[in-house]
Amino acid sequence: MKLLKPSWVNHNGKPIFSVDIHPDGTKFATGGQGEDSGKVVIWNMAPVLREEDEKNENIPKLLCQMDNHLACVNCVRWSNNGLYLASGGDDKLVMVWKRAAFIGPSTVFGSSSKLANVEQWRCVMILRNHTGDVMDVAWSPHDVWLASCSVDNTIAIWNARKFPEIVMTLKGHTGLVKGLTWDPVGKYIASQADDHSLKVWRTMDWQLETNITKPFSECGGTTHVLRLSWSPDGQYLVSAHAMNNSGPTAQIIERDGWKTNMDFVGHRKAVTVVKFNPKIFKKKQKNGSTPKPSCPYCCCAVGSKDRSLSVWLTSLKRPLVVIHDLFDKSIMDITWTLNGLGLLVCSMDGTVAFLDFSQDELGDPLNEEEKNAIHQNIYGKSLAITMGSQLSSTIIDNPEMLKYQQERQGNQNPNGAQASGPEHQTPKLTNVLNGESLEDIRKNLLKKQVETRTADGRRRITPLCIAQLDTGDFSPALFNSVPILPGSSASTQLTPQISSDSSTANSLVYMYVTSYFPALSQPMEPMKALDSRFTERSKATPGVTSVPLTIGITPLDRVKDSSSVKEPKVKDETSSDSEDKIMAKPLSMAKRKGEMEGAEVVEKRKKGRPRKDSFIRTHVMSVRIKDKTKEPSRLITPVAVLKLPTPSIQKSFSTQVSTDAIAYLEVENEVSVVSGARLSQLKWSRDGREWDTLLTSRITIATGSSDIVAVACEDRTLSVFTTCGRRLIPSIMLPAPLAALHCSGHFVMVLMASATLSVWDVQKQTALVKNESLNPILSGTDATVSQSFLTRQGVAVVSLSNGKTYCFNSSLETWNLIADKQDSLVQCADFRNCVSSQDALGSMGPLALTQGRNLSAGRLASRLSSTPHHLQQGMTLAFLEKQLASALILLSASEYRHWLLIYARFLVNEGYELRLRELCQDLLGPVHKSSSSSWEPTVLGLRKRDLLTEVLPVIGQNLRFQRLFTEYQDQLELLRLK
Amino acid sequence: MAKVQVLNVSVLDNPSPFGNPFQFEITFECMEDLPEDLEWKIIYVGSAESEEYDQVLDSVLVGPVPAGRHMFVFQADAPNTGLIPESDAVGVTVVLITCTYRGQEFIRIGYYVNNEYTDPELRENPPVKPNYTQLQRNILASNPRVTRFHINWEATMEKMEDSENVDPAPNAMLPPTSMPGKAPPFGLMPDNSMDCL
Repeated sequence: MKLLKPSWVNHNGKPIFSVDIHPDGTKFATGGQGEDSGKVVIWNMAPVLREEDEKNENIPKLLCQMDNHLACVNCVRWSNNGLYLASGGDDKLVMVWKRAAFIGPSTVFGSSSKLANVEQWRCVMILRNHTGDVMDVAWSPHDVWLASCSVDNTIAIWNARKFPEIVMTLKGHTGLVKGLTWDPVGKYIASQADDHSLKVWRTMDWQLETNITKPFSECGGTTHVLRLSWSPDGQYLVSAHAMNNSGPTAQIIERDGWKTNMDFVGHRKAVTVVKFNPKIFKKKQKNGSTPKPSCPYCCCAVGSKDRSLSVWLTSLKRPLVVIHDLFDKSIMDITWTLNGLGLLVCSMDGTVAFLDFSQDELGDPLNEEEKNAIHQNIYGKSLAITMGSQLSSTIIDNPEMLKYQQERQGNQNPNGAQASGPEHQTPKLTNVLNGESLEDIRKNLLKKQVETRTADGRRRITPLCIAQLDTGDFSPALFNSVPILPGSSASTQLTPQISSDSSTANSLVYMYVTSYFPALSQPMEPMKALDSRFTERSKATPGVTSVPLTIGITPLDRVKDSSSVKEPKVKDETSSDSEDKIMAKPLSMAKRKGEMEGAEVVEKRKKGRPRKDSFIRTHVMSVRIKDKTKEPSRLITPVAVLKLPTPSIQKSFSTQVSTDAIAYLEVENEVSVVSGARLSQLKWSRDGREWDTLLTSRITIATGSSDIVAVACEDRTLSVFTTCGRRLIPSIMLPAPLAALHCSGHFVMVLMASATLSVWDVQKQTALVKNESLNPILSGTDATVSQSFLTRQGVAVVSLSNGKTYCFNSSLETWNLIADKQDSLVQCADFRNCVSSQDALGSMGPLALTQGRNLSAGRLASRLSSTPHHLQQGMTLAFLEKQLASALILLSASEYRHWLLIYARFLVNEGYELRLRELCQDLLGPVHKSSSSSWEPTVLGLRKRDLLTEVLPVIGQNLRFQRLFTEYQDQLELLRLK
Repeated sequence: MAKVQVLNVSVLDNPSPFGNPFQFEITFECMEDLPEDLEWKIIYVGSAESEEYDQVLDSVLVGPVPAGRHMFVFQADAPNTGLIPESDAVGVTVVLITCTYRGQEFIRIGYYVNNEYTDPELRENPPVKPNYTQLQRNILASNPRVTRFHINWEATMEKMEDSENVDPAPNAMLPPTSMPGKAPPFGLMPDNSMDCL
């Protein structure tokens, strides 16, 4: 073992809190206290590894230093792919750094050290969430997530592919969280805190797996950090500061049952940091000796407040090496090289030490294949599966699940350009200088720069945009160059070009900002406040106007959209108005008829003996209702345009019956008079086939379906014929004049002037709805019936002029509200991302017919980001459940399926596990037959288990529900085999 | 962290006659679009003894500032000689460039300025009443002193939790030894931590 303390690695004497070696081993990062801020420094590894490189002045030692953290940096960690560096500090921030494509060195302006940055690392993302110092950060295997823990007692899990999205905040610690480690298999993340506990959380559902407190009960919160570590084989988790018999230890926790039977003993003070070697080792084969299989083992370094470092092999009972007095102060962090032979340690005293082991000392490191084989042995599946697909760190237990995950991945890729990795969130290199050399521009900058006066007479300079965010092609030589005296040479007409360019840049950048920083939409307010200034300025500098303009786009669009949505509504209203006007005549006619009829009844009452005839009595009652409510006059309703009713007896009219092939109904009243009776003719024709029949009264409404034709006459009779013209039933005597008549399949629906509804199945000759009053839906409103129709399944639907639509459920005998234009849930529900393109067809049906327009309005409203997410989530959930129930009550199978899938997707996206489980349970039903079960295997003629087969792939897209998926997938498979 | 980082300031037209305007070419980088302008000021410290001789030479708004790297030249007239105490006209003083956002100063860049006669005779026997036409102004451009302040960049008027200022570079330049005690304080605000001079 060789030991080196490279004195040049320092933060000018300030403490170094964290160190991490880049995965490629060429550089390492340190984090700690800077001079006036937190400091992150990236160092070259070569001078540490080789003495000749250390002496060679041409080889840089410091590659880059970043002073952006406002306060002490507690942790620096490279992503596993080496592209990013995450740092967390006392300023409550986590910053994610990325190397800019930059060639030359530059210094930090005004910084005391004149050392140039050889590499340019730029902050690409600032993660703000913690309300206290960030103590540790950790990238998950495959860089799916970034975890950060803080003295605010929480752990934030960030979506590393969609910064700054937070996947989950883990709450449960009651003390400062000071260390994090991911399970190398990706199933868990462990955290250690000052609350005397170590907690293991599942990555599947982010719930607590176990809480270990016993070894920590005696611990005092005396260490700055508690960096725990997970062994590379995943079998052991080793804590930082634990106590055993009043002695400081590093507790070993077995994955199997989270047993705490072993520990690393020997340090005299609290253990601050434990770090496993990334390699798994096996015994070095001695030359000549017979190779005998030896158990692979791991290697672990332990650092303590007692300033000493110990390195352990799990195959040995005693430490491999203990180094005392390596530092003047506590050890803060340890990092291994990826090859497992090098080790960097940093200390509060501001120095680092490098330990170089030989393979003789540690053993033969296993290669990745062997390591995977071990994982395969232990966990059943090799980690390589997930490595290959790069899906997630979660082991996918179920091959079906894997398939859906892969499908999802495939689907995302074509349009996923904007959603993978932070690099997309940084505008790419764009030189806005149009090929002009910067030197030329500088020479004329004073002359050419746009200077205006604000309203209050102040000078305002529009700065020259020389590069968009993070450009690499911008010459760094500028910074150390000798200033050029202005006016020495002239290159003209440059500025207008630049300003226009920069203005387009503005707009681009602005769009980027709005899309990625939703929180920034608030700054619209101050923008507005500045409007006057903007306009003032735009007169002078055309380039400037683009800013308010681009900002205007969003609200403008919104206005446009809403007006375009309103338009059809308005049209709708006017058209119904005109319909009303058209209907005015029949209406008054009907009214007169009603009066007439009333008179008739009175006559009857006088004549007949009510006590004898119960039929008449009920009749009288209905008349009374009518008289009392005066409803009928209002009720006479416009019917669908195609079926214009003619209560005013027209001489002749024709109706188109929309069936598969279009059929026409022609009515001619009073065709002939036979022995004093006036005859009316009904003529039906389709594809050249036709028939006609004669009726003794004048026909008011005629309509038909693919199976039947129904005709209402002036004398309140209803006749029903087959499409061949055969009379199905003798004339039905209606209790009141007809307002609307609909046919669908074998169903006939009549809406009578007395505000009652009847629906018959003429094939089975049964009544589905019998003289049901519309009072429950009409009373208390001024609304009138604006539309009515009958679904193919025989469900009567009535829309009112107040925007509400009801259907009558004959089994419940209730009116059910299925659509409401004023429903605020519709307005705010946002489920667009749950609608897939294939779904469009499934959405056609009676439900869509009644509320189709509302839905688009809702979609628009959902863009208003004013509603908080949880509220919107709740509204969307409520809305979707309503849709599902409405589709069910309308007996609309295709729509039920459509909404079921959207509902399932929404539940999966938003993580409603209980509801999802209930849904699956209902669809699956009991696996074993039992007589007591009331479970129906079908819903609306759809087999529930078929629906479940459709829902499962949706569930499979969220790894969180892996358990749920597997559970139902297996049971479904079981049932299939039966 | 600060949304605006000053990357470089080049002092143009330096050294120059005392009456020439100041010219600074400022390069800065902005991480996000700024909805409001930056306000830059050049302050000439007339006398080391008292802040009351400070002169704001000019203030200018800079905007709009989209995310990216920008540069501009800030030019301001020479100080009004009438406001400078005669005893302080010749020698070392300071010029400050400050930048504020939403009224909060987040960076202060200070330069030492040496005003001296070019004529050796005048240098030997300076007139009691300073002859400004003969004075040359030399800004020590190689040694800027930069102080950064933590400010609230967002529009929300939440109270700044960390209002304490960050320390300036401790081993930055010391005042020229020839002029002990003459260096004026950089810190004009009481909580400014540039008092380590």
